Amino acid sequence: MDDSARQHSGERISGAVGTPIPHDSAHLHVSGAALYTDDLPEPRGLLHAAVGLSPVAHARIAALDLGEVLQAPGVVDAMTADDIPGKNNCGPVVADDPVLAPGVVEYAGQAVFAVAAESVEAARKAVHLAKVSYEELKPIIDPVEAVAASSFVLPSEVIERGDSRKAIDAAAHRLQGRVSLGGQDQFYLEGQIAMALPREDGDLFVYSSTQHPGEVQHLVAEAIGRSSKDVVVECRRMGGAFGGKESQPALIACIASLLAHKTGRPCKLRLDRDVDMLMTGKRHDFVIDYEVGFDDDGLISGIRFEFAARCGMSADLSGAINDRTMFHCDNAYFLENISIVSHRCKTNTVSNTAFRGFGGPQGMFAIEHVIDDIARYLSRNPLDVRKRNFYGKTTRNVTQYQQTIEDNIIEDVVTQVESSSDYAARYAAVRAFNADSALLKKGIALTPVKFGISFTATHLNQAGALLHVYTDGTVHINHGGTEMGQGLFTKVAQVVAEELQIDIDRIKITASDTSKVPNASATAASAGADLNGKAAQAAAQTVKRRLIQFAAEHFNVEPSAVRFENNEVLVGGQAIGFAELVHLAWFARTSLSATGFYKTPKINYDRSTFSGRPFYYYAYGAAVSEVIVDTLTGEHRLLRVDIVHDCGKSLNPAIDLGQIEGGFIQGAGWLTTEELWWNEKGELKTHAPSTYKIPVCSDVPEEFHVTILESQANREETIHRSKAVGEPPLMLSLSVFHALRDAVASVSNYQVLPGLNAPATPESVLRAIDGQRAAG
Amino acid sequence: MYEFNYHRPASLDEAKRILSGNDEAKLLGGGMTLLPTMKMRLAQPSDLVDLSAIASLSGIEVAGDSITIGAMTTHAQVAASAEVSSRIAALSVLASGIGDAQVRNRGTIGGSVANSDPAADYPAAVLGLNATVITDEREIAADDFFTGMFETALGPQEILTAIRFPLPKRAGYAKFPNPASRYAVAGVMVAETGNGVRVAVTGAGANAYRVSEMESALSANFSASALDGLAVDASELNGDLHASPEYRAHLVVVMAKRAVAAAGG
Amino acid sequence: MPSTVSFTLNGEPVSAEVSSRTLLVDMIREQLGRTGTHVGCDTSQCGACVIHVDGVSVKSCTMLALQADGADVVTIEGVARNGELHPMQAAFREHHGLQCGFCTPGMIMSALDLLQTNPDPSEGEVREWLEGNLCRCTGYQNIVKAVLSAAATMRG
Repeated sequence: MDDSARQHSGERISGAVGTPIPHDSAHLHVSGAALYTDDLPEPRGLLHAAVGLSPVAHARIAALDLGEVLQAPGVVDAMTADDIPGKNNCGPVVADDPVLAPGVVEYAGQAVFAVAAESVEAARKAVHLAKVSYEELKPIIDPVEAVAASSFVLPSEVIERGDSRKAIDAAAHRLQGRVSLGGQDQFYLEGQIAMALPREDGDLFVYSSTQHPGEVQHLVAEAIGRSSKDVVVECRRMGGAFGGKESQPALIACIASLLAHKTGRPCKLRLDRDVDMLMTGKRHDFVIDYEVGFDDDGLISGIRFEFAARCGMSADLSGAINDRTMFHCDNAYFLENISIVSHRCKTNTVSNTAFRGFGGPQGMFAIEHVIDDIARYLSRNPLDVRKRNFYGKTTRNVTQYQQTIEDNIIEDVVTQVESSSDYAARYAAVRAFNADSALLKKGIALTPVKFGISFTATHLNQAGALLHVYTDGTVHINHGGTEMGQGLFTKVAQVVAEELQIDIDRIKITASDTSKVPNASATAASAGADLNGKAAQAAAQTVKRRLIQFAAEHFNVEPSAVRFENNEVLVGGQAIGFAELVHLAWFARTSLSATGFYKTPKINYDRSTFSGRPFYYYAYGAAVSEVIVDTLTGEHRLLRVDIVHDCGKSLNPAIDLGQIEGGFIQGAGWLTTEELWWNEKGELKTHAPSTYKIPVCSDVPEEFHVTILESQANREETIHRSKAVGEPPLMLSLSVFHALRDAVASVSNYQVLPGLNAPATPESVLRAIDGQRAAG
Repeated sequence: MYEFNYHRPASLDEAKRILSGNDEAKLLGGGMTLLPTMKMRLAQPSDLVDLSAIASLSGIEVAGDSITIGAMTTHAQVAASAEVSSRIAALSVLASGIGDAQVRNRGTIGGSVANSDPAADYPAAVLGLNATVITDEREIAADDFFTGMFETALGPQEILTAIRFPLPKRAGYAKFPNPASRYAVAGVMVAETGNGVRVAVTGAGANAYRVSEMESALSANFSASALDGLAVDASELNGDLHASPEYRAHLVVVMAKRAVAAAGG
Repeated sequence: MPSTVSFTLNGEPVSAEVSSRTLLVDMIREQLGRTGTHVGCDTSQCGACVIHVDGVSVKSCTMLALQADGADVVTIEGVARNGELHPMQAAFREHHGLQCGFCTPGMIMSALDLLQTNPDPSEGEVREWLEGNLCRCTGYQNIVKAVLSAAATMRG
């Protein structure tokens, strides 16, 4: 369409901020034409890699003989830790994560050696020919065992405010308990993959399915003994990531790169599902101890938490993840006197890592569990106890880490979902139903979410972008964020379209590339659109300023008389097409390329004291879930879900709605069906979808009402006043777990606290029901 | 997966010729179990004999008092068959609950029965409905067919060609599926047949088996309440990551009651 | 020992040399270069590799290439007609029935098979039918919406 035609095409540009346009790759996704890393054309001479994994959880490698491996048909080369020219490390924070096991293996599934062959099949087959003998050492598998043995990947941390001991001792009522909470595999549909291509002069170009191309670049460079300038990493899209591709892809990319470096040939490593699940980290599972004191209304006066997280064999991101647990064990509640102890347990299991929520869900699980216990102990409606403990707006509004909550809308959110779900009437109806139903029991729960937005490591809250405008008026935008399906590229393009006032189809969003935007943070912490949207906007504004400057001079008007609107630039009273102005500007030698940079304002936080303002703002939400349980088998079904969630002023309501629905269901999987099962030797036995159950289509209730909180602009000056939406909705699923507790408690006519651990699989629900019967 | 010789014979005779003297050959039905097993390198046949081109092995045939289903008939075909659903609804229910749509499109009744997977559904139907397993050599009564985990009475070169189900007076099937794989953690077929009540369990033990206490209880009174108070001994049952033996024992009783209810008892 | 496999792929005759153990999905992706069919789990659970063979949906990671000899094979690349998205594809795009898109081709191929035998499915029937197709992103809501909307369009 030329510019003259556009003048009559409508009032607004297409793809403006706030419009629910489809994902930018949707037409490719539905045609099978969207290229994931494994779909890229394979370069000449490509080798395929496979990895030899440790079968044991903890052992010294007594002997390692790859002779037969190297003799196998199709095998070109193989390597062990000894063959790594640079640093044998792919740990993101602490250098304690070897690429290949250096003499000692610390989990079953750890990479011990790698093979490069002419075909995938040849490489995978040859792996089995290795002769490795292990001298087994005693493994530590579970976190309780680790605490007893003082086995930690990082020092235990403490947050204290007030005198929790005194407050609990003085309280009218006291409870204490222990609950365990399972981990979760990310189960991105596209498994981990990287393809490394040698370039001239020993350089490497790496395609990696990663949320953090910059870190892959850095660690690959170190592993091959070179520097960052010698390695370029690119990622157009991932087939899902959910945190599982934040630190983990470095391992995959390092192996592919080391083999490419050693052989001088391109090399691809794609993990099959079983290997992926055995070899890469998951959400941390926890054992949580608590002690709480409260009054007759359920108001908490003092609380003590002790968290033991299974971190696995290395630190990975466990420090920040467990910090976030400590920051979120208040959820939406003011806990005046609180003591939090957080153990980061070293175990001989895979090193656990980021997963949507990043420790926050576990913290929120803990406090919701306590509140639910309090309500049941007092025979109160749990919602009343929740409300009794909510943060205030002007008082009772300082967190345990000394951040004043300035944007508290939790009551608005809860009130809205309480009314839209008809909670009170249904709460009564559930009890009436249970009174008349011996075998089937229903349960209902409303749980809130308050989630802090920003990386807790302040320095990561920065982003860059690169924007080019071509003389035909089209735009190329690149930023440090990565696309994993969350719609980041679409949102950023909308921001640029809005800024330049051009239709979104004039904007090409391009693959994340370390040679275009350097040193980018991982696309994580829900901050992708907040950070990269602002950086892209800044780049667009820079070019726009230059165009305004040019137009003002060229047409001899004041800069304030130049306005961009609907694919046109209005100069004084005259309209010219965007492309036309761009062309004129170029002819007059105006720079049409700019970088943009953004750093989140206001945040500042001292980790040594766990105090300050780690979060720029909070995102809020609330959900009501109703379940039905078969007390003969423990089977349960989600009957209805109502959600109200805060997205600020949404950049794209369709994308945000998808994040809310998807996050909720993913969380429901974590708490009800997804069970990671290790045997006593530390072998993970649920390492495929045939044994590890993620939600399927029929698990989703037909009554699933999701509402984006209306007209609540972010109080902070975020990108178009939107709010981050990647992680917070996952924790809305706590309502499912508490609805199940409610149903279980009905078996004792609500007289006995339900002893239900997560995940609430049918067998675990049945056990809890048996507990009700035995105690009741 | 290891290399093997692939054959797709057009007739039973040809299949037989390939099998003869070839101990390491395996028959390929839909491949829904065998191919994954081979991919994991847990099976290494020298030859695979794909039976899909032998037309006589597919189809559903109704006689006066029985239904005969060809070995290569897919689960989807059984599930969609009006002949089956109007005569043995429980079989229809069972077939439509196997795996997922794509597994049902490829998987075959013959493959499932011949494999005797402890968690497969069909063995419960064969045993519970007192079916007859028909091979190219003979007919085998259901009670003699399942001999152990992945073991049957089939000889090494014997080809299962069809299964004949006598029409029961009434029958019902209920299973507790593994949530991930949808294999049976415990599945129970209850049938009132011409020769009395039969109760067959799959998923809980090494192979499908009958429960005589339940059969006698239901013979006296064909209703779910007849099974009240009846306990299954957990010590013989499978215990694994999917369920403990105790949970399976509990589920067998619950599923048996549901099956009786489904049968209209 | 290599053998030649020939079949019709999206209406065109194709053939390739394969070994006995070559999986159909690998032949389609590696040898025939159609990468729209994805491998998500390698174990016939996730459904990312669903295609049509002789008119019904199958998981191409659990079929030998040799088993497809002489068959009529349709992959996601063969669904659009004359450069226009099929109504099912258009519905997935319009109703946001995708996020990362990795499951989408298999999901669409599976849904198309459902409509062949059940052109007017209920929401419950769609949900049950799609049990063999895993999606980790969407929570399935928009997928179900897309299938129901496409069914309505296709019924005319």
